[in-house]
Amino acid sequence: MSVALPIGDASGDSIEERRGSIVYFSDLGTIALILALCFAFYAVMAAVVGASRQRPALVASARYSVLVVAVFMLLAAAALILSFLTHDFGVRYVAEQSSLAMPWYYVMAAFYGGQEGSLLYWALMLSVFSAIFVLTSRRAPAWLTPYIVATLMAIEIFFLLMLTTVSSPFVRLPIAPADGKGLNPLLMDPGMLVHPPMELMGYMSFSVPYAFAVAAMITGQLNSDWLRSIRRWTLAAWSIQTTGLILGAWWAYHVLGWGGYWNWDPVENAALLPWLTATAFLHSTMVQERRGMLKVWNLCLVMASFALSIFGTFEVRSGVISSVHSFAYSDIGGFFLAFLVVIIVFSSTLFAWRLPKLHPEQEFDAVVSREGIFLFNNLLLIGIAFATLWGTLFPLITATLNRQEMTVGPPFYERVIGPLLVVLVLAMGVGPLLAWRRTSTAALRRNLGVPAIVAAICAAILPLLGITSIGANIGFAVCAFTAAAILYELWRGTRVRHAHGEPYIIALYMLFQRYRQRYGGYLVHLGFVLLTLGIIGSSFFQVRQDATLRPGQVMSVGGYQLKYFGNIDTQEPDKETITAQLQVWHNGELQNYIYPGRTFYTNFDNQPASQIPITSYGLTDLYVYLADWNQASQATISVFINPLVPLLWYGGLLMLIGGITCWWPERRRSVRATPATGRAARPRKVPADSEVMA
Amino acid sequence: MRHRRSLFLLLAGMAVIAAIWSTLLLSQARPETLDQRAHDVASQLKCPVCQDESVADSPSLLASQMRSVIRQQLRQGRSEQQIIQYFVSRYGPQIVWSPPWQGFALLAWLVPIALFLVGGAFLVFTLREWSARPLATPATGEDEHAPAAIDDSDLEPYRAQLERELAAEDPLFARHRTEAHRWLS
Repeated sequence: MSVALPIGDASGDSIEERRGSIVYFSDLGTIALILALCFAFYAVMAAVVGASRQRPALVASARYSVLVVAVFMLLAAAALILSFLTHDFGVRYVAEQSSLAMPWYYVMAAFYGGQEGSLLYWALMLSVFSAIFVLTSRRAPAWLTPYIVATLMAIEIFFLLMLTTVSSPFVRLPIAPADGKGLNPLLMDPGMLVHPPMELMGYMSFSVPYAFAVAAMITGQLNSDWLRSIRRWTLAAWSIQTTGLILGAWWAYHVLGWGGYWNWDPVENAALLPWLTATAFLHSTMVQERRGMLKVWNLCLVMASFALSIFGTFEVRSGVISSVHSFAYSDIGGFFLAFLVVIIVFSSTLFAWRLPKLHPEQEFDAVVSREGIFLFNNLLLIGIAFATLWGTLFPLITATLNRQEMTVGPPFYERVIGPLLVVLVLAMGVGPLLAWRRTSTAALRRNLGVPAIVAAICAAILPLLGITSIGANIGFAVCAFTAAAILYELWRGTRVRHAHGEPYIIALYMLFQRYRQRYGGYLVHLGFVLLTLGIIGSSFFQVRQDATLRPGQVMSVGGYQLKYFGNIDTQEPDKETITAQLQVWHNGELQNYIYPGRTFYTNFDNQPASQIPITSYGLTDLYVYLADWNQASQATISVFINPLVPLLWYGGLLMLIGGITCWWPERRRSVRATPATGRAARPRKVPADSEVMA
Repeated sequence: MRHRRSLFLLLAGMAVIAAIWSTLLLSQARPETLDQRAHDVASQLKCPVCQDESVADSPSLLASQMRSVIRQQLRQGRSEQQIIQYFVSRYGPQIVWSPPWQGFALLAWLVPIALFLVGGAFLVFTLREWSARPLATPATGEDEHAPAAIDDSDLEPYRAQLERELAAEDPLFARHRTEAHRWLS
């Protein structure tokens, strides 16, 4: 680690001289990182000492230094971005990740294109989130704040140490090349602009709930006060991670060319794991809030989410398990492994120390109750998470224990996790209809009657429409059940409000306004049902056909005809693109022209990027991949018909909207505006009114 | 009465489904085409030169050669298992894309399933025990001492009171048409 002397290494290099810069942005970046490190150290010390010795001034100074750390991190990030935008190839990272020919937005995105930059992005986001926490934490329990600050800054220190020693983005080359190597072609895609920042931010954001959990355990304040804040932070993390996962799936679908969106790749699995545990936490935390139970379990889930997100980073960076993200391999995996071990040991020690304090406040009443189904939901989610983790690690286990190479691919996950997914969706329909504590069978029958009939009708009709697969049929019926249960709930709520004088639209809006968590949750569930429909549709009913075509030939797939015209070869300074020219016909009408192709970058000869035209006809995608070609007059294409895949993206969007709805702060209820219909005028008659509806 | 009818409808619906499915199953017994069988085999094999793609999915040359080998062997009347064995003997066990149902690899399947079942059993037993156990602490207001002798209806006046007050606060609480309301009216 060294602060490069600004003037020392500027000589002997024509490009550097031409720019005439004396102090490089990269030097400023290094200095900013070191200063951020110092302030982070100070914040940890001041927070811990201030809290244990009861010195409010010291704690306040720790809070301010969190803000200072954020400012320095922003400066460091700005330094890196400016190095990129000024094409300062004297910086090794800039020379490796960008080139003069790249458009400016990919140059910007190259910021997190490599390991050093993504670590800087992680640390930047953590410091920004910590600053947001400090600025908004006035209402958070005051005794927890110093320890939360200390934990966040301790994590920040780990990343800053990496950034200033083994993995600095600001290392300068002895001689600056005239042009950079450029971004990996796989990353030169619009997905690059959105997926990695979301995914990394998702990983990072689990550190805030973790900091809450650590603080709660250190102070021994394990009552439910901290739950509200921790849940909002987890919701934020969950929403970010959901977006990251959906964008990742979308990107894989558009870029990789095998007609799918999720391949149970180790890195994909690693991103799914903290999402699963966080989802489990968001549900079981409601049990703790309402009933004071499951404290131990909830703490475990929070800590597991964070540990798994570090595990994910370790896995991406270490390359112990081969994956499509192999462009990210490096030698810093060991540090992450060490960090992971520290986290696990530290958390378990704290946990064991505080275990006696974690007794439940209330007892369970009935198996069939909201609590019961929440526990069942946790069992399912953790079951899925464990199966995923086990499948990811199993090749490693056999390789070390049994000295045998083994592959655990999608067929394994589909068989183990598929059924669990369907049960999860079913539980999603039943759960919200169960009451807390216990549910009478009469109420259950009343609530489940309509959805069950809808599901039965669906299951009866689908085989008549030619859907003969039993698995798909069960899946569709379960989705119909859950969607009906949710929509029926929405309808009943709206109707009651309507009966009290609100127009339907206003009534629906007021439901969301008044009961954000509940109805936001319904939106998330509805989105997940759409997502499941997309998964079922594409995994059971995908049609694939390959053909080698000559100009004028037509291939026919699932009701679509593709007519081939020839290839076009476009040469550009840094790349060469080959595109096949095709027409799509459906029902005797020309639908549109498509151009599947490949782009070869001069700097990445053996890594062509694919252009895959995907056209949605209603809810069916036509996906065309150029597999091979010969000169201008022959092309081998793979055509996939992917039914219901667009539902994945709609479902993901709905889940995000639902997550934001839950997260959005509720307005204080103290001031109650009386609607024009004068609801307040006849409060006592309400039960009688509702009786009329019966 | 209405409940009984809806239950009847439900059962009738189920019966219809069962009937349709069984006929479908019977009619489905016809043999699969060569294409389908070849695809079945190919999707169980991992493409040796690709990153995470099955032989069925991969666009690589080797995978397409392997697909034609599969077709050829199927035409010669070899079984799916024999063909997979043939590829295992040439490329090693990692060519099979999901762990085989034998030997050490059995653990890959059994451990998650076993843990899930154990978790489920643990859940059910814990819930049973918790719900069977009488409350250790005296009732904290809303808690009911619930010995079986007390009829549910004894509590209805209190429930009705509660719901009336909640309904006055917000109409949404009024929508559950419980016995309480009937008692009120």
